[in-house]
Amino acid sequence: MDRAEIVHENFLRRVAAGDLPPGNPPDGSLTDTEAVALFRAQCLSRAFDRTSRAMQKAGTGFYTIGSSGHEGMAAVAHALRPTDIAFLHYRDAAFQIARSQQVPGQQIAWDMALSFACAAEDPISGGRHKVLGSKALTIPPQTSTIASHLPKAVGAAFSLGLARRHPPEHRALEEDAIVLCSFGDASLNHSTAQGAINTAGWASVQSTPLPLLFVCEDNGIGISVKTPKGWVEASMRHRPGVRYFAADGLDLYDTHRVAAEAAAYVRTRRKPAVLHLRMVRLYGHAGADVATSYLSRAEVEAEEANDPLLHSVRLLDAAGALTPEEARAIYEETCARTDRIAGEVATRPHLATAGDVMASLIPPPRPCRPTNGPPPEARAETFGGEFKAMDQPQPMSRLINWALTDLMLEHPEIVAMGEDVGRKGGVYGVTQRLQTRFGPDRVIDTLLDEQSILGLAIGLGHNGFVPIPEIQFLAYLHNAEDQLRGEAATLPFFSRGQYTNPMVLRIAGLGYQKGFGGHFHNDNSLGVLRDIPGLILACPSTGAEAAMMLRECIRLAREEQRVVVFVEPIALYPMRDLHAAGDGGWMTRYPAPSERIGLGEVGVHGEGTDLAIVTYGNGHYLSRQAAARLGPRVRVIDLRWLAPLPEAALLEAVEGCARVLIVDECRRSGNVSEALMTLMAEAGRPATRIAAEDSFIATGPAYGATMPSADSIEAAARSLMGQDG
Amino acid sequence: MTRTAVIVCPGRGSYNKPELGTLARHHGARRELAAFDALRAAEGQETVTMLDGAARFEAARHAVGGAASPLIYAASYLDAQALAEDIEVAAVTGNSMGWYIALAVAGALSAGDGFRLVNTMGTLMEAKGAGGQMLAPVWGEDWRPDPARKTALLAQVAEIGARPGQALSLSIDLGGVLVLAGDNAGLAAAEAELEAPGPRLPNHAAFHSDLVAPVAAEGRASLPATMVGQPERPLIDGRGHVWWPKASDTAALWEYTLGYQVTEPYDFARAIQTAAREFAPDLFILTGPGGTLGGAIAQSLIAIGWRGMADKTGFQTRQAGTPILLSMGREDQRSAAVRPA
Repeated sequence: MDRAEIVHENFLRRVAAGDLPPGNPPDGSLTDTEAVALFRAQCLSRAFDRTSRAMQKAGTGFYTIGSSGHEGMAAVAHALRPTDIAFLHYRDAAFQIARSQQVPGQQIAWDMALSFACAAEDPISGGRHKVLGSKALTIPPQTSTIASHLPKAVGAAFSLGLARRHPPEHRALEEDAIVLCSFGDASLNHSTAQGAINTAGWASVQSTPLPLLFVCEDNGIGISVKTPKGWVEASMRHRPGVRYFAADGLDLYDTHRVAAEAAAYVRTRRKPAVLHLRMVRLYGHAGADVATSYLSRAEVEAEEANDPLLHSVRLLDAAGALTPEEARAIYEETCARTDRIAGEVATRPHLATAGDVMASLIPPPRPCRPTNGPPPEARAETFGGEFKAMDQPQPMSRLINWALTDLMLEHPEIVAMGEDVGRKGGVYGVTQRLQTRFGPDRVIDTLLDEQSILGLAIGLGHNGFVPIPEIQFLAYLHNAEDQLRGEAATLPFFSRGQYTNPMVLRIAGLGYQKGFGGHFHNDNSLGVLRDIPGLILACPSTGAEAAMMLRECIRLAREEQRVVVFVEPIALYPMRDLHAAGDGGWMTRYPAPSERIGLGEVGVHGEGTDLAIVTYGNGHYLSRQAAARLGPRVRVIDLRWLAPLPEAALLEAVEGCARVLIVDECRRSGNVSEALMTLMAEAGRPATRIAAEDSFIATGPAYGATMPSADSIEAAARSLMGQDG
Repeated sequence: MTRTAVIVCPGRGSYNKPELGTLARHHGARRELAAFDALRAAEGQETVTMLDGAARFEAARHAVGGAASPLIYAASYLDAQALAEDIEVAAVTGNSMGWYIALAVAGALSAGDGFRLVNTMGTLMEAKGAGGQMLAPVWGEDWRPDPARKTALLAQVAEIGARPGQALSLSIDLGGVLVLAGDNAGLAAAEAELEAPGPRLPNHAAFHSDLVAPVAAEGRASLPATMVGQPERPLIDGRGHVWWPKASDTAALWEYTLGYQVTEPYDFARAIQTAAREFAPDLFILTGPGGTLGGAIAQSLIAIGWRGMADKTGFQTRQAGTPILLSMGREDQRSAAVRPA
């Protein structure tokens, strides 16, 4: 028989027989009505585990990972406030149900049933995924790779302290709120979890306010792999800066008492803590997983004997809150209720078309207070002696620095963070003086962990800030890219745009650093940033355009709540000359703060009609050198925006040109040139490309050997035009 | 085979001329009537039996708060005691004053205390309730949901209500019709400016608005919180919130009843929608007297497309087959809901 059915039958039989598992008596931490309310939440959670399996069998449900065994989380919800943002483990239905009782007017059973049915009316995901989550209950939707929600929980906790000092216009969390983040014992082992817990401790020992309650739901097994006995406690008990609490997750009273203590500690001390709850996992991992295929029957039955609902019946009886007969009646009524509700949700519509599914890829715009730009007095004071230099052409690194300064003056909700961005001012000096100008609150030197940097940004975005995280080198993004791909970019999608985490991620990247650094400082592949739905990828090539594009990126994040990545070509940071030493041809004047380059606007240089060179970044610089040698028959088009590609503007820009040459400094495979070749082919515009080889970048003299050069661009252009005649 | 049902208790305005004699017709022998009468007599008020047994309906005598409220309470409460054996009550809700009845029907108040609550609040409202109510339809005759019109009307109400020297606000959301509360100036402005204003409701105060806050305060002062206990059935309030048996904070329940419930808008539509979605009953049973609230129940369900109902025709079609709504105040539907005599 199905284990879910066995657990159900066991419950009914053992309650009727008064055969309840032994345990401590109720400790008095809950009133009778509170305890019954939590038991009701547990029953509803359990009933949905059964109903969802029936729905799947009937073809009306699409998800069977249950919460059975973890229903003690109802007591954790009760120990918190509904305004404490909760990033939840997927077995926390009981938490959400219990929290729904704290906010009047919720329709929790219906909402959860819609979610199991993937109905379009599901209020959190709109039928895109079975997720726990609710705007009204401050539970962002969480469906994730393992432990990927921990870094943003750290970020959200950090945002609470920051918002006290610098309340942002779109502040979403209350001043004395805390953050809850739950996960399983197997997930604790994930490097992402370890990194986030380490970050929380690192901040805590430096007295950075970080009111974050981790909850480790320890059922002793991750799908089929057992957690070593005592592992969670051994791992968590002595973490620096993170207080350890432990409770019996099978005991509502004990869980509530300890959760309340832990929550009070976190709330009043503004420090992180971990609550270790010992639990059981009933049934397998999901509907299709048969636990007896990797556990002995005795082991499975031992877990089932400790069904937390049976413990609750015992405890409620001992407290005089509810007789076992009454408890059983509640259980049976609840099961009947979820079955009836399942019948109703089965009739509700689903998403059907690609348009339906994609409707929430891009978040809705939000109204922002208008500004008149950075105040002139503040500019004068902030820039000081640099004001004079603004009349003179400058290299790109300086103009980005000035643009950041103006943007931070104009928008107090902007916060920058990254490795070495503060005191040092960035490896290349791009963020110099920002920390002096805006303080360590708004220009944060982080620890060396890219997942934590992005998690910090995501968490700040949840609370109304507009973060500008920096990844020091493009190659350093890769160990953390899931924070963009799996978390930041998906949040509007899985929440119907109700939750957003806008940001402008600055990444220094791409090649041509004249022999410095090799591959890890010259990574020349953007493929990983181009295939993420909804993400905007920008890549400037001159200082003035970088400033104007950065302003647009901030507007997109601030007003349209978009996730934007701004890739800054390192080799162009200090670039002064274009054609000859001392010509100063690549320096530009700082554009007035009101000037922007809109998303999708391309740059066109020259009016030639024989050849259009389509390029970006360093390729733009090199193509301009080549174009000078090729003469007026050539025009150079700078894409500027690499995702989504500015297709219409590009096709318009190449209009009237006989031939198209695509110049891509990134590798041939999986990068922009492939997309451009496809676009041109589909538009009936034959094109040729030169791109970097599918190789890593060498250190030393051969640094540029695998990438296009001005010479190779010129040669390719001449070859093309020669064919012309 | 049992039928699961949500019981809906009506509010003010449901005891009118056709309902005269309802108590005698359906509940003449019920002993609770004598107790209700005794409570009225002790207060020096005309008994409900006398009011119900009057030779003719007189608005000044029957429709005022101090009379209509206890009459409606008695009829509704006793109807809820007369349900057929096969009906399993999944939850109880009510509209406006019907909330007080629902408290008693769900077992959170004794029959007598429920009567006392209704009688006290009805009398207080009659004596001291300021302002009035009017209707404002937001759907057409076909009952097709028109959310845009509703949003626009609410915005207009807020605008009128924000003007100095006048008050106007949403009082009750009935699905396709809104009830507005206001002072005379606010209601007059609404009558003059709304595209299709409905009639004022005679003898009604500005229920569910700030204007009756003093009545709420008097209610709290004169009715002890100890009256209220745990509901025996799930109870759905005017926010669509469910109060569960043995799991309710009774102090909070009382505070809501004589606080928020009196002075903030009553979302009857949400209550019905919660009833549908959280309990998925076979039936909604509207107790007597009268049956006018049936339209609001239907509209509240149509608003969420319940069981595919998209408009009035959809509702009527369903009613003609396996009905989803039984109104005990309608003789043609009552027999399906009550125990055989």
